[in-house]
Amino acid sequence: MISNFITMNGYGLYVWLSFGIVFISCVVVYFKTKKTLKKYEQEFLAELHTLTLEEKNKALENSKVLQQILATSSKVN
Amino acid sequence: MFKFLSSSNIYPLIQKLIRFINSIFFLILVIGLTFALILSPPDYLQGDAVRIMYVHVPSAWIGLACFSLITFLSVLNFIFKIRNFYFINKSIAPIGLLFTCLAIVTGSLWGQPTWGTWWAWDARLTSMLALMFFYFFYILTFKLLSKERLIIKVSSIIAIVGSINLPIIKYSVNWWTTLHQPASIKITGSSSIHSEMLLPLMVMLLVFLLYAALIFLMKYKTEIIRIKKKNIKRN
Repeated sequence: MISNFITMNGYGLYVWLSFGIVFISCVVVYFKTKKTLKKYEQEFLAELHTLTLEEKNKALENSKVLQQILATSSKVN
Repeated sequence: MFKFLSSSNIYPLIQKLIRFINSIFFLILVIGLTFALILSPPDYLQGDAVRIMYVHVPSAWIGLACFSLITFLSVLNFIFKIRNFYFINKSIAPIGLLFTCLAIVTGSLWGQPTWGTWWAWDARLTSMLALMFFYFFYILTFKLLSKERLIIKVSSIIAIVGSINLPIIKYSVNWWTTLHQPASIKITGSSSIHSEMLLPLMVMLLVFLLYAALIFLMKYKTEIIRIKKKNIKRN
């Protein structure tokens, strides 16, 4: 039964290759996307640290998105 | 008019959605793979090669759906000038390209045992290849051009011209004699696929949709951060 599952009655090469290519492509794209997101989050935080306290507070006060990014980035790091 | 679509309103939702998809994705993937590789029956004609359908068909559908959405948002962007649609399109395009490529590759792997060839210049296959090139050129505009207005113009033209190809892909199997079989699943009218195969296909479609949504949300979040980073001092 296991042998049948692996060989797929002679179609194993095509079936496993199809599923394998899809799986590997999706995993690669997932990790690449995640890495880029983290990179931008870190660059964003670094940029925020270059601001003076007054500028930082003003920026955070005026933007809900900045507050969210800061909150989620702090949790991640 | 579309104020509710601003990044300030959408951003808090993104993290919640990413967490939600992450929490259910693995379970649905396991269910989908169990159905696709073990529980679903082999085809009376194609045998176990039919299992390739469970990755091929959802890939093709998502590839087509992404381009349709890109075209629709491009037209809306042309009329209403909503900058957010530009970021949404930029985030969707790589997902569409990925799934179109996967549909072509898995289709080729399905074609060899069933048709006896990896590739044929038949209407369905050729029009899918054309879609892949439209995606490629669409993404290239973001990489090569620097002015946002120009990118929006050029990419929208590519999307609108490319959309002519969408009905060709859909109806190619009816208009011409092709190696590719006609659609087994119809939105209107009865489908010719058995429920024992339809159910795994729908579960796998859900898996692919969740994955596409996850990648889209991550890419869209990256876009928002990139813009906010640029404008940080102006805030």
